[in-house]
Amino acid sequence: MSPALFQTALYASLALCSLGLVWRVSAWFRVRIGPDARTVALSQRVAALLRGGALALFSRRVFQLAGAVFLDLLLQRRLFANEKLRWLGHLLILTGFTLLLLMHALAAIVTAKLFQGYQPTLDPYLFLRNLSGAMVITGVGLLLFGRWRRQTGLPQARRPMDMAFVALLGFVLVSGFLLEAHKIASPRAFYRMSDQFIGSTDAGRLTPLRAVWASEFGVAFDDLKLPIDPRLLEQGRELHRSACASCHTKPVSAFVSYPMARVLAPVTDLLDTGRADAWLLYLHVFACFLGLAVLPFTLMFHLVAVPISLLVNAAAPNRDFSLAGRASRRALALDACVRCGICDLHCSVAPLARYLGNLGLLPAHKLQATAALAGGRLLGCEDVALRAADGAFLCTDCGRCTAHCPVGLDLEDLWEAGRGDLAAAGLPSPAQWVQAHPALAWAESLERGPAEHVDSGPDDLLAPLSADRRSFSRCVQCQTCTNVCPVVAHSMDSNHGIDLTPQKVMNLLRLGLRDLTLGSRMVWDCATCYQCQENCPAGVRVADIMCELRALGVRRLGAVRSLRESS
Amino acid sequence: MTGARRDSCDVAVIGAGMAGMATALFAAERGLSCIQVGNPGGILFASGLLDLFGVHPVAERRLWRSPYAAIAALAREQSDHPLARIDASSIRTAFEIFVAALGAAGLRYAPLGDRNRSVLTSIGTIKTTFGVPLSMVAGVDALEARPPCLLVDFRGLREFNARQIAESLGHRWPDLRHRRIEFPGTEAAPELYAAHLARALESRQTRERTIALVKPLLGDALAVGFPAVLGLARASEVHAAFEAGLEMPVFEIPTMPTSVPGLRLLGALETAVSARGVRRRHQASVRALAFDREAGTAALDVEGVPGVERVVARAVVLATGRFTGRGLTADRGQVRESILGIPVLQPASREAWHQRDFLDPSGHAVNRAGLAIDDAWRPLDADGKPVWPRLFAVGSILAHQDWMRSKCGSGLAISTAWAAMEQVARQLRGTGAG
Repeated sequence: MSPALFQTALYASLALCSLGLVWRVSAWFRVRIGPDARTVALSQRVAALLRGGALALFSRRVFQLAGAVFLDLLLQRRLFANEKLRWLGHLLILTGFTLLLLMHALAAIVTAKLFQGYQPTLDPYLFLRNLSGAMVITGVGLLLFGRWRRQTGLPQARRPMDMAFVALLGFVLVSGFLLEAHKIASPRAFYRMSDQFIGSTDAGRLTPLRAVWASEFGVAFDDLKLPIDPRLLEQGRELHRSACASCHTKPVSAFVSYPMARVLAPVTDLLDTGRADAWLLYLHVFACFLGLAVLPFTLMFHLVAVPISLLVNAAAPNRDFSLAGRASRRALALDACVRCGICDLHCSVAPLARYLGNLGLLPAHKLQATAALAGGRLLGCEDVALRAADGAFLCTDCGRCTAHCPVGLDLEDLWEAGRGDLAAAGLPSPAQWVQAHPALAWAESLERGPAEHVDSGPDDLLAPLSADRRSFSRCVQCQTCTNVCPVVAHSMDSNHGIDLTPQKVMNLLRLGLRDLTLGSRMVWDCATCYQCQENCPAGVRVADIMCELRALGVRRLGAVRSLRESS
Repeated sequence: MTGARRDSCDVAVIGAGMAGMATALFAAERGLSCIQVGNPGGILFASGLLDLFGVHPVAERRLWRSPYAAIAALAREQSDHPLARIDASSIRTAFEIFVAALGAAGLRYAPLGDRNRSVLTSIGTIKTTFGVPLSMVAGVDALEARPPCLLVDFRGLREFNARQIAESLGHRWPDLRHRRIEFPGTEAAPELYAAHLARALESRQTRERTIALVKPLLGDALAVGFPAVLGLARASEVHAAFEAGLEMPVFEIPTMPTSVPGLRLLGALETAVSARGVRRRHQASVRALAFDREAGTAALDVEGVPGVERVVARAVVLATGRFTGRGLTADRGQVRESILGIPVLQPASREAWHQRDFLDPSGHAVNRAGLAIDDAWRPLDADGKPVWPRLFAVGSILAHQDWMRSKCGSGLAISTAWAAMEQVARQLRGTGAG
């Protein structure tokens, strides 16, 4: 490869990468999530970062920072706590990738400086390079296996670029191994070297050396007589010691590429003729440059965002974050999310997501919708926006996503801000649009609505409690649920009281009038405190039924919503 | 059962009604480790009044002033009645311990004594009972002496009507007056619920505003009656504050179940058994019960929200109640015991379950159906032998009694729990030593 081309490509991709990084990092100060974030100027956000950073560095907090670097960043303890397999996979990739970057890609400026007599074809470098590559490939395999193994039936959040980048990474590794394997097996490479260091490419004169390299170094000469005479080998070894040994150890330690070289042996001649060494090098190097150039716009940007996010979170306790600090931290969280989907696994309302068929409820998906809303990309498509809003507002703020996030994001803060944005954009919560009309009006809409929405067949399967009369037939209307209900108690002293009491909701179900309950204030104001269910003398699952009616309401009333609102 | 949770104890109590709670309480008092399974919500149907034994014979509807004299008569005439199997001193002890535990948990009763008492109900009738909460005892005195008295009710509280009570009793109690007031802060609410008022009155401010509303209405009254809404967890404090504020005896009149006194009783019982270390599985039921006759243990599969748990117990007490408690189930042909299918003593055919007249004073045969037991309170199988040497049965599931018509619900629950627990302790000591 011509040095000029190499350098041009390198500097071009470095330049693109830097510009990309600047753009992406600047988003942490530009992107505004939450109505409160709109009140903060860019300068205030920069100032908050500088002040926070200084405060953390010059106080006892610095130990927390060191702890975060060691435990959270290097040892990945949050991921370890969540899933051991993925932790192992991730650690393998991280270690292997770092070693490859320093020891191989930057060999000229790192390894060669640190270790005298460094040659890529000497052990342990040869072995270590293979080991590192194998670690990355194994790690990627473990991550993919981990994803496959915990199939939840719900699609996982990801962007198109994510998988493309994984494919590119795989391509770099495979082309690297192929290149190395081919160079081991290539007679052409052998003659190039012999010309350079012995001053000869004469096959006859080099026969002893070729014998050694064929039998011990895996070069696939197709014109060598077999079996090889041991005296010839002895001669060859002498020549090898004087001319080659200082730069070459036996490539058996290249436990990936050496076996590959053996496999490639029959076609080596063909590859040599086709100049595979050159184009494999081009592919390998330019794939790396491409990766470098697009890195800021791929999943790999988390290499930058996650460490900074961890440090920012370790720099101050949650309550010490100013509004300006929180505004930046929300934008940073969008980039630090690696879309691992662990939050989705722990989400309390995941069953609802399944039931409603609305992935917008799941944290990892919701984060993408939040990013889209902040970027102005969500409001264009109304249907998607409405579903995102329903999803965002059905979140119960249970905090399990935050508790399990392997990169330690404060997701609840993000959700709250996102809901503020949705409300500001005229996308109210289901509780709001449902309660804009009385329960009776909704029931009428359902009656007049399209037949397929009135048909309760599928609902019976998905709303098992309210569809099965056994679940409330034991109700004796004793009023205990109403007596213990804090929502009813609160409505005693307000003009905006509830319309039905819990026991009346149960009675409507007993009478087969479920549609009348779906838009009821009681159903939508229920605080899910479970007092009713805990106290019910008949063992009716009152609170569970309330939850179910809300989910059913979003689905069925949502289907007649346009009808209702146009009338 | 791989991966299932497991636990073990001396006594497993199945049921969390009055009998189950009393059994768990007495087990803990005797130092036995206890796991209790069942939904205690049924206690909400209790009135907070503790009946012991009021009516005998049922057919004559004869009311007794002394419950102990009534039980003595019962023992002479109907020796198979569960209460006839227990001596008076045991019943006294059981009630004293039970009421003391409730008192310690914040629900105080008037001293029990030897006599039944008459209590005014929310529909103007008079109920004969034995244990009376301290907050209602001034009503018992007032009903006896009939001084000038004011009954207060609240607009919107539909379950309690002071005027109805006053008019029902007016011919016998001319100085009984009634007034309706607006409960502070509920002016906009069309309907009120007793428990919410009870909670609201635990706030000093609401209490003082209520007292201020009632004070000008007192006139010559020497006592004031309210619906039973004077506080929930802190009822003693609320009641005392009303008496101090109105400067005269104040009494509560029990409302229709489910009522605030029921909530108080439930709360106090839950506090009492939990404080004594009883492990409660209160949103769970027993799915299966099996006995390991070699190991001498019983295994219960307890199904609750977290899944199925295996409980291994050295003794088991059935306190599962009758039809509402689901200890007994009836189909078109017969009555069955729900968990083990233990034979139920019952009329030979369904035609004999009921009298022709629904309100027949002698009651119906099916109301006396239930489990037959031996002298050690162990239910009997078809051969008349104990089902298992350490399986016991207490409370309303037992045969030969009609607790509703005899007015002996709490008496039956508390006394049989005590008597059976004596046998449980004796049996367990036996196995412990052996």
